Amino acid sequence: MIAQRVKGFERETPITITVNGQPVPAFAGESIAAVLMAAGFRALRCAEASGSPRGFYCGMGMCFDCLVTIDGVPNQRSCMAEARNGCVVEVRTE
Amino acid sequence: MTEIAVIGAGPAGVSAAVAAAGAGAKVTLIEEVARPGGQYYKQPAASLHPHPRSVPHSLADNLQHGRELIAGLKHPNIDLRCNTLVWNITPDRALDLYGPKGAERLQAKKVIVAAGAYERIVPFSGWTLPGVTTVGAAQLMLKGQGVLIGQKILIAGTGPLLQLAAVQLLEAGAEVAAIVELQSQVGFFANASKLFGQWGKIGQGMANQKRLMEGGVPIKYGYAAARALGSNQVEGAVIAKVDSAGRPVSGSEETIVVDTICINFGFTPATELTRLAGCEQRFDPNFASFATVTNPDFETSVRGIFAVGEVRGIGGVEAALLEGQIAGAVAARQLGYQADGQDVRKEWQKARASVESLGAMFAVKPGLFESIPDEVLVCRCEEVTAGALRSAARSGATTLNSLKAWNRCGMGRCQGRTCGPAAAQIIAAEIGSNPESAGTFTARIPIKPVPMSVVGAVEEARPTGTAMEDHVGYGKAVVR
Repeated sequence: MIAQRVKGFERETPITITVNGQPVPAFAGESIAAVLMAAGFRALRCAEASGSPRGFYCGMGMCFDCLVTIDGVPNQRSCMAEARNGCVVEVRTE
Repeated sequence: MTEIAVIGAGPAGVSAAVAAAGAGAKVTLIEEVARPGGQYYKQPAASLHPHPRSVPHSLADNLQHGRELIAGLKHPNIDLRCNTLVWNITPDRALDLYGPKGAERLQAKKVIVAAGAYERIVPFSGWTLPGVTTVGAAQLMLKGQGVLIGQKILIAGTGPLLQLAAVQLLEAGAEVAAIVELQSQVGFFANASKLFGQWGKIGQGMANQKRLMEGGVPIKYGYAAARALGSNQVEGAVIAKVDSAGRPVSGSEETIVVDTICINFGFTPATELTRLAGCEQRFDPNFASFATVTNPDFETSVRGIFAVGEVRGIGGVEAALLEGQIAGAVAARQLGYQADGQDVRKEWQKARASVESLGAMFAVKPGLFESIPDEVLVCRCEEVTAGALRSAARSGATTLNSLKAWNRCGMGRCQGRTCGPAAAQIIAAEIGSNPESAGTFTARIPIKPVPMSVVGAVEEARPTGTAMEDHVGYGKAVVR
């Protein structure tokens, strides 16, 4: 994995989310972007015109590049959405 | 209806809300993200506890200061509304919100805009690859989530933030492969010493340098990132020396193996809301960007709408806190409340002065924009290249707004927040004008994408016309 959870943070509540049909471990309070990154996802979607891969970029909800589908709702900013136990995320990189 | 609506719960907004509420006014503080603090004082969720003794020292202090500031929001007069986007503002201070309860219109007697700033970037080859982020994004991931964005990181751009971020990432366990600083070494130190102008900050800067040296982090002065390597994600970077005009020197390229590239060239004010409300903007040559004009009470040209913090021009956290405090008290006073706090204008002047020329000192030289290769994407959303911008500029698209008709630059989801300042520089360089004459993209509602049903909900409730008609310059024929 390129991204890692750092030591020094006490993560109270382990949860599980589903990404592309697979269970992915997470902790309550983390953003979907943080969970995806720590699970090794870097490309999160494809640019509409060229199809080139895009991922987490601004981290503050202004660039709209880290969009994923969350619980069936498309085009959600993964950096702004909090991971909830059982939520279903789809990352389309093809 | 609220007495004072404060938009943005960063340092300036929190301090404005606390001052106004303390004077007795009823305040609604509206924040787009889940928790107050802003980007500077980003706070993790309650279920993620950073341990003051085991998180990097540089983060522990920041988290603590943020917590102390935010504690002031526990005031009966403050209604804090998180996860709520202000997607429209009218000159008569009606705000359209989109939050957990859906769409809502909020009328305020006074509005204080504390929307903060965005990171300024210079596009380079491959910068849309996953693994290229802003420096701020890496800091937010660390502070707010406890996640290190990469293992081997290149930090590129200009200004003192690069070195601070490098220390934070290093202390959190990353390898910082190098810092690529556009300024020459002589220029950097001359500027940094002028900038800091305060012994405490010089000390902090020196401590960062010492820490980076101990950590074996090379600082490449007079260099810029030229290319991100990789097909699906970052696998390396090419950096190049730049000449005194900011142009890469051919033959000076070096390849570094990294998994992450973080870029930042300073900041640009977030002025969408004040532009939408029709507040006067002025080009700040120091930062090569437009900022919102205010009077000494921080009231904009639209009466009843105030602007504080970075929206007025990049000034740093101390200035933002004091501006919030002053504007909060002034707004409360205008509503008839007694605000008898201490006069902090002298401190404010000092704080502003110490960073006033920051932008000029760490200005991005035009040569760097001129030498962006034609095939490099500038507008990430609509995938518009530097070459397309230049060709549009040569055929008459001399302003940001006119670019839209040529190639849709700035018309994607981010609405030009990311590319606008860079696109202005590129077209200005192409036609030999300056970024001031390129202007800004006209702010449009919704300032960030919202579901159609949200816009519809507001439309139904309106007595006449569409929300767009509230804004000067928006042709009714286009709307109807």
